[in-house]
Amino acid sequence: MEILLQLVYSGIALGMIYAVIAFGYQLTFQTSDTLNFGQGDALMLGAMVGLTLVNMGLNFWLMLPIVIAFGLVQGAVVERIGVAPAIKIKSEFGWIMSTIALGIIFKNVAENIWGRDDLKFPSPLPESPLKFLGANVLPMEILVVIGAVLMMLAVEFFNRKTIYGKAVVATFNDRDAAKLMGINTGLVITFSYALSSATAAFAGALIAPLTLTGATMGAVLGLKAFAVAIIGGLTSGMGIIVGGIILGVAETTTGFYLSTGYKDVPGLVLLLLVLAFKPSGLFGKTAIKKV
Amino acid sequence: MKRKSLVAGVIGIAILAAAPLYTHNPYYIHMIGTIMIYAILLFGLDIVVGYTGQVSLGHAGLFGVGSYTAGVLFLKLGAPLWLIIPASIGVTAGFGALLALPALRVTGPYLAMVTLAFGTIIQILINEMDFLTEGPLGLKIPKPSIAGVQLDENSFYWMVLALMVISLVVVDRILKSQLGRAFEALRGSPVASDCMGVSVYRYKVYAFVISAGFAGLAGCLYSYSEQYISPNTYNFELTVLFLLAVIMGGRKSRIGSLLGAAIIVILPKLLDDLELFRMVASTLAVLMAVGGAIAVSRKMTTVRAMALPVVGTIALAGFSFWLQSITDWRLSIFGLMILFVVYYLQDGIVGFVRGLLVRKGSGGGRAIVLASGAHKDAITQAASTHTGEDLLVAKGVLMQFGGLKAINQVDISVKRGTIHGLIGPNGSGKSTMMNVLTGIYVPTAGAIEFAGRSVVGRTSSDIALSGIARTFQNVQLFGEMTALQNVQVGLHHTFHSNIVDIALHSPRHTREEAASVERGLGLIDFVGLADLANEEARNLPYGKQRLLEIARALALDPQLLLLDEPAAGLTAPDIKELITIIRKIRDHGITVILIEHHMDVVMGVCDRLSVLDFGQKIAEGKPADVRADEKVIEAYLGGTAA
Amino acid sequence: MLQIKNLEAGYGKVQVLHGISMEVPKGKVVTLIGSNGAGKTTTMRAISGMIKPTAGEISLSGKRIDGMESFTIAKLGLAHSPEGRRVFATMSVTDNLILGAFPRLTGSRPKGDVAGDLDKALELFPRLKERRTQLAGTLSGGEQQMLAMARAVMLNPEVVLLDEPSMGLAPILVEEVFRIIEDLKSRGVTMLLVEQFAAAALKVADYGYVLENGRISVHGPAAQLRDDPAVKAAYLGGGH
Repeated sequence: MEILLQLVYSGIALGMIYAVIAFGYQLTFQTSDTLNFGQGDALMLGAMVGLTLVNMGLNFWLMLPIVIAFGLVQGAVVERIGVAPAIKIKSEFGWIMSTIALGIIFKNVAENIWGRDDLKFPSPLPESPLKFLGANVLPMEILVVIGAVLMMLAVEFFNRKTIYGKAVVATFNDRDAAKLMGINTGLVITFSYALSSATAAFAGALIAPLTLTGATMGAVLGLKAFAVAIIGGLTSGMGIIVGGIILGVAETTTGFYLSTGYKDVPGLVLLLLVLAFKPSGLFGKTAIKKV
Repeated sequence: MKRKSLVAGVIGIAILAAAPLYTHNPYYIHMIGTIMIYAILLFGLDIVVGYTGQVSLGHAGLFGVGSYTAGVLFLKLGAPLWLIIPASIGVTAGFGALLALPALRVTGPYLAMVTLAFGTIIQILINEMDFLTEGPLGLKIPKPSIAGVQLDENSFYWMVLALMVISLVVVDRILKSQLGRAFEALRGSPVASDCMGVSVYRYKVYAFVISAGFAGLAGCLYSYSEQYISPNTYNFELTVLFLLAVIMGGRKSRIGSLLGAAIIVILPKLLDDLELFRMVASTLAVLMAVGGAIAVSRKMTTVRAMALPVVGTIALAGFSFWLQSITDWRLSIFGLMILFVVYYLQDGIVGFVRGLLVRKGSGGGRAIVLASGAHKDAITQAASTHTGEDLLVAKGVLMQFGGLKAINQVDISVKRGTIHGLIGPNGSGKSTMMNVLTGIYVPTAGAIEFAGRSVVGRTSSDIALSGIARTFQNVQLFGEMTALQNVQVGLHHTFHSNIVDIALHSPRHTREEAASVERGLGLIDFVGLADLANEEARNLPYGKQRLLEIARALALDPQLLLLDEPAAGLTAPDIKELITIIRKIRDHGITVILIEHHMDVVMGVCDRLSVLDFGQKIAEGKPADVRADEKVIEAYLGGTAA
Repeated sequence: MLQIKNLEAGYGKVQVLHGISMEVPKGKVVTLIGSNGAGKTTTMRAISGMIKPTAGEISLSGKRIDGMESFTIAKLGLAHSPEGRRVFATMSVTDNLILGAFPRLTGSRPKGDVAGDLDKALELFPRLKERRTQLAGTLSGGEQQMLAMARAVMLNPEVVLLDEPSMGLAPILVEEVFRIIEDLKSRGVTMLLVEQFAAAALKVADYGYVLENGRISVHGPAAQLRDDPAVKAAYLGGGH
């Protein structure tokens, strides 16, 4: 029982990371009907850049804002090179392939800079577990959950309270009408990509101490986060947190009870099942076709 | 043209067949063999990517299924070649069907993610199920034996060549048949496909299954070719490489697939040799700069558009001199190539070359000479024995979207052999009604009977096949196909030949195909587009596109034809032609429901009018009576409001 | 104030407008009427930059605006309440109104007193005041129409384009909408009104243009047009 609870705690922490990345998918999808197939690699880059900074002697907490800034730039670059041209020529195939291509390039660059092996990320918090409700939980795991929640709240605050945030939400709602309000929707889309990568990078720096950090960490992560985004429905914020936790826990328990090799399977199978039976997700709304 | 490509093909095959006699280095034989094996997979992948227009990130997984089926059957059962090949094809096709299930209701990025998830699961399963697959250790499998004699490198090569040629011919035949047109229709307009009787779900499954079959064959041959397989071959990078091959070589082209296969096999070898790469990169940079300068001076493009590729290739060349080894940067090179192809070479190398040639040569379509009087039989005489009876009866139809009642308790009955008009102000529910009648929306309540059978709850393609055809307010043609091919999609229901018939070019199939061409031309002639039959639909002028939609709808042999604002955007002479065509359709016994805003069309052609306002029927009757009706005048002009 | 000369526009291959010319003088209400498919909404979209004209000139206060992006045109003081209303459904009524003043809050237009204007807007539309924290997507059609109009006015615009404000509304709400337009007129707001319902539009407008198949067939002072048989013909195909 204690082990199960421990797995649940780890699962929740993991799930929050998925939720944060899924949040990024939602952001770009809502403003531009596109998403970044290289989202997982944005997370990986955040972790790697964070690792380099920490190894250079920078304090973990000071490293975080720098990683976020890096993520903002990286996201803007992806949007300008890969997405904006495709939107212009109205090619869905275009942005799918170019975000995949950019993801591959980033991963390859990371492999060459940091090598192909997994690296250890020093944890800023003590590594000895705490007891919570009778089971062990690592302080870092608690930090991950708090960090993820704080970040999503920050974005929510931005959206609701600032005029620029409202402009972003207006673009979600109706791009043409937003333009009529004087909102430069092209910039909004670039910003949403920047924000999306920044949140992924931040998540990467947070989760790095808990798992092995390496150039390959982004690959399947992006896919599983997409599963969470779908389960939650690409329009519901609450849904992705619930979805993330479900997936995270399913994964840690499978990894323990079955075998670590199979731990990625439940997420992927869940994705297939949801898309087969309820493509709008468990929480989303079905769109009405217009002919 | 056909003869030329046949001759070129035979020469190409002869050269390939002669290769082992020419060079005695098994390295090159193996390399060409691998190119051919990849080409087989790409022929199949092109069906999904080039024709149905979807991104598949799962084909490396299907490739792996084929390889491992061969490997496992050999290892565990010692199965012979003649069993392994069909088994690989069959098992992989089965996985293709499995993949199609979650992919049915999704499209675009969702579908891409589904295929990616699928491919990843397969790789994990192959890796973990070591009781079956030996897991990460991999499998060894020797060259196959035929009749007790083990094939050597050369004879295996010839076997691969033979299978590649067979695959090429089969795929080519499939894609030129009604199946190929159905696949293209899925990309052109899924809604129109369904409404022409080509069920999107069903043909998506076919596309994946057929594509998987080829991947299975390729995988099986790959196992024999490499003689050792392991799970990490069938990874994300391989699947991206396959995609790069298809789009760089050229979609919808067998040569494109061959070319693409050659590129992705030769390229890594090229990248291993740094000196060679430096030479190639520098040459490329020079070519790009020179080519760009020429293009700008000829006003074919602007400095801005050329800036990125020129700077990019120069940077690449410079980078290659700074590096010690290029192998580690392989994936980045592939990524850059994908970006390049996506933005600058959308039709691939084959498409680019074709574009150059066409500009020099003749224009798009050849005019087809029709036997006079051919069109007289093109439109099947709809059963005219029961003129005057009710063909379509809608009672109490309610269509609610959330709180909005788009159609509110509407009763309409349409008599066979008449032209029934449906008019009303914007937002009154006319198009919604049409979508309900063709199964695009399921009504919230109410009964709709067509020729005695209920329509409610049936799929659009089922409804289409039972006799209701339609056109669309926003033209939904299959843009990249010719006018004739568009109409042939409408004639899909006349085909009974299956994939075996198609592959073998059976008499039944040849007959059906010829009949569809003849009838198709007849229908095109009926709407007056005979000289544009071979023109791509997207290049037709707007007015002609609308007429083409009518021809395509008539191909369904409908008893009821729904026309959604056919006169919208037409000029006065076009409208006159339209009215003549509508009358001729009625004369063939086909009942017509017409939504229109052009009052002269409505008044001139309709036998009866129903007027909708705010989702409700406010008037019905003869056109002259309706026009004078107070309520109708008020609805349109807003007489007493404010 | 707003001048349109020989405007041609369309969608892809379909040319909808074949050279129309109109003028909206300062402080006046001009209406553009015509049957469906005539090109009224296309005209509005071409003016506000939602689509790019293929030929012709559009000038706002003497400055050429044809070919500009719609967000640039909005910043120059042209507000457009679009066909179908298009309010921001997941945002509150107040937020929708605040967004109407986006260029004022971000420095592209003189700021003025946004909070004060917000209060004034809510006074003008009492129904909106009652529902000011409600999500715009939950409002009824009539309320959304009022929100769209109020939002347009929040820009403190030089000109307001009203595109089919009565569409999809029950007759009693149509009355209310036109009462509000009258009120705006009395406050001196310059408006270009596109309407399906000719009678109501001609009652509130000073001047009218009739659009038929992409061309202006008749134009004149609104009072004159009301009794013109050509207007009826344009809608119900009378003379053909």
